[in-house]
Amino acid sequence: MAEQQKNSMVESIGSAVLENIRHCGRFSRFQLASVLASCRTCFKPATYPLVLTQMLAIGVRSVPVVAVTGAFVGMVLAIQAYDQLAGLGIEEHLGVLINLSVVKELGPVLAAVMLAGRVGGALTAELGTMNVTEQILAVRSMGTDPIRYLVAPRFIACLLLTPFLIIYADFLGMLGGYLISVPYLGINSAAYWDFSASGVEMWDIAIGIIKGFAFGAAIAGVSCYKGFHCKEGAQGVGQACTEAFVGSFILILGIDFVLVVITKAVYATLWPLKILL
Amino acid sequence: MEKKIQPSDGIIVLKDLSKSFGKNVVIDDISLTVEKGKTTVIIGPSGCGKTVLIKHIIVLLRPNSGEVYFHDQRIDNLPEKELNAIRTRMGFLFQGGALFDSLTVYENIVFPVRQHHHIKNQKKLDELVKTKLAMVGMDGFQGAYPAKLSGGQKKRVALARAIALSPEVILYDEPTTGLDPIRSDVINELIIKLQKELGITSIVVTHDMASAYKIADRIIMLHNGKMLIDGDAEQIRNHSDAVVQRFINGQAEKSDLKALRQSSADIKIEDIEQ
Ligand SMILES: Nc1ncnc2c1ncn2[C@@H]1O[C@H](COP(=O)(O)OP(=O)(O)OP(=O)(O)O)[C@@H](O)[C@H]1O
Ligand SMILES: [Mg+2]
Repeated sequence: MAEQQKNSMVESIGSAVLENIRHCGRFSRFQLASVLASCRTCFKPATYPLVLTQMLAIGVRSVPVVAVTGAFVGMVLAIQAYDQLAGLGIEEHLGVLINLSVVKELGPVLAAVMLAGRVGGALTAELGTMNVTEQILAVRSMGTDPIRYLVAPRFIACLLLTPFLIIYADFLGMLGGYLISVPYLGINSAAYWDFSASGVEMWDIAIGIIKGFAFGAAIAGVSCYKGFHCKEGAQGVGQACTEAFVGSFILILGIDFVLVVITKAVYATLWPLKILL
Repeated sequence: MEKKIQPSDGIIVLKDLSKSFGKNVVIDDISLTVEKGKTTVIIGPSGCGKTVLIKHIIVLLRPNSGEVYFHDQRIDNLPEKELNAIRTRMGFLFQGGALFDSLTVYENIVFPVRQHHHIKNQKKLDELVKTKLAMVGMDGFQGAYPAKLSGGQKKRVALARAIALSPEVILYDEPTTGLDPIRSDVINELIIKLQKELGITSIVVTHDMASAYKIADRIIMLHNGKMLIDGDAEQIRNHSDAVVQRFINGQAEKSDLKALRQSSADIKIEDIEQ
């Protein structure tokens, strides 16, 4: 009896592990196929209209939410940090703190999270519904690769436009920080910008934009995968949307961490060169 | 079976095909050859695996065991890329239509054409769409979105899309379900016309016995994952098997009605409430 129970436990653990491995395999294959299909799409001008349609839906329509996100991040940072810096008597350094945080971390990450909700949710729901109503199967039945037709345009649009949206978020974040710091908290405008300019380097902005490419790919990859593999019914689509958001959110945080570690190392190696220049 | 099926026996050959989903065995060792230019009708009770069977012919599903041949070429183990070329030679009408709801009727029908041909001449394309839609009596709906169409209209547009590439083989999953009797007959005539004039091979899944008798060169009935009968309309009509007779005449068995009879003693909601 106990033997049997043990066996069934081992069995269920084993099958769960196998299921997870299979899942990982499917996910990796899907991503590989998406990347290959996207590369091929780039060389086929006939498919550009599809990409442009997605760019409109994914990129242009996201500008307002991303801008609002950025602006509030900047404003909140200014109010939060002011007291601490004022206590030390260095409130004129507020600009460095705000702009550095916005450009390197908060702008990219929060904008990406916003996009994971807005864009990722829509992608998963749309593709999931197409899956449930056999439209994806219909694409296949007519001899077209659904990854090339459905995923590649969305993948490219996300990959290319997330960095631009992050630049928007950065810009609005800086503006928001400035509006609170200078007119409201009364910091000297020239000092604010001088310290900012000396503290924020091109490199910092570049990091944020590099992150943008990775975040965009993560959002599109996870959302499209979840849409393509969603379960039957309205509940299946809803569940896929939830999983897609949680998945891309966690992936964004993970990618962010890894990129921070890598860029720090790169910066440390290149730093001596910069002094020489 | 007297002799083993050969891949070259017909345009489509299924050999020892089996398919199960988990523990649910849907197709159980079915072998079938479809002759070129003939119309084969598949009938059988709801849920018996008709849709699953014809999805194997265009390899939208892969069998657990067995083989599928098209023009003497084995296709069930081909990679998707090579299948795509073969799929353009077949048309598939989905049971639910499966129209792209973000595209108009016009764009739906143009979709397979644009995917596989570079047609510059917009006029010719319009003409093609018009012809195909007229065949199913839907000309004039080019600009409509599928969401605005009735169930039967969607079916007909989906049919127009399935024949857009002028395929050699057309697989119809319940083409007349949800249509009024006159429209159904128009679709029957369409299937016959495609066969007579263009020599198209059709495989039709249907529950509509009138349509089956009219269009079929051969009728196959599936039951419990097996082929129960296989013959022409006359043979089916005069078949001695009780299951077949009940099915084609639409008579429920005593056991099917048992639940109904019991509930004639009817459970009242008010009784449960207390
Ligand atoms: N993708 C799938 N996953 C799991 N089970 C499936 C799947 N597709 C079909 N089935 C099962 O296969 C069986 C046959 O389904 P199928 O759709 O072929 O029936 P059908 O004969 O076409 O019925 P109907 O006449 O109602 O359309 C059903 O029991 C169904 O539960
Ligand atoms: Mg069916």
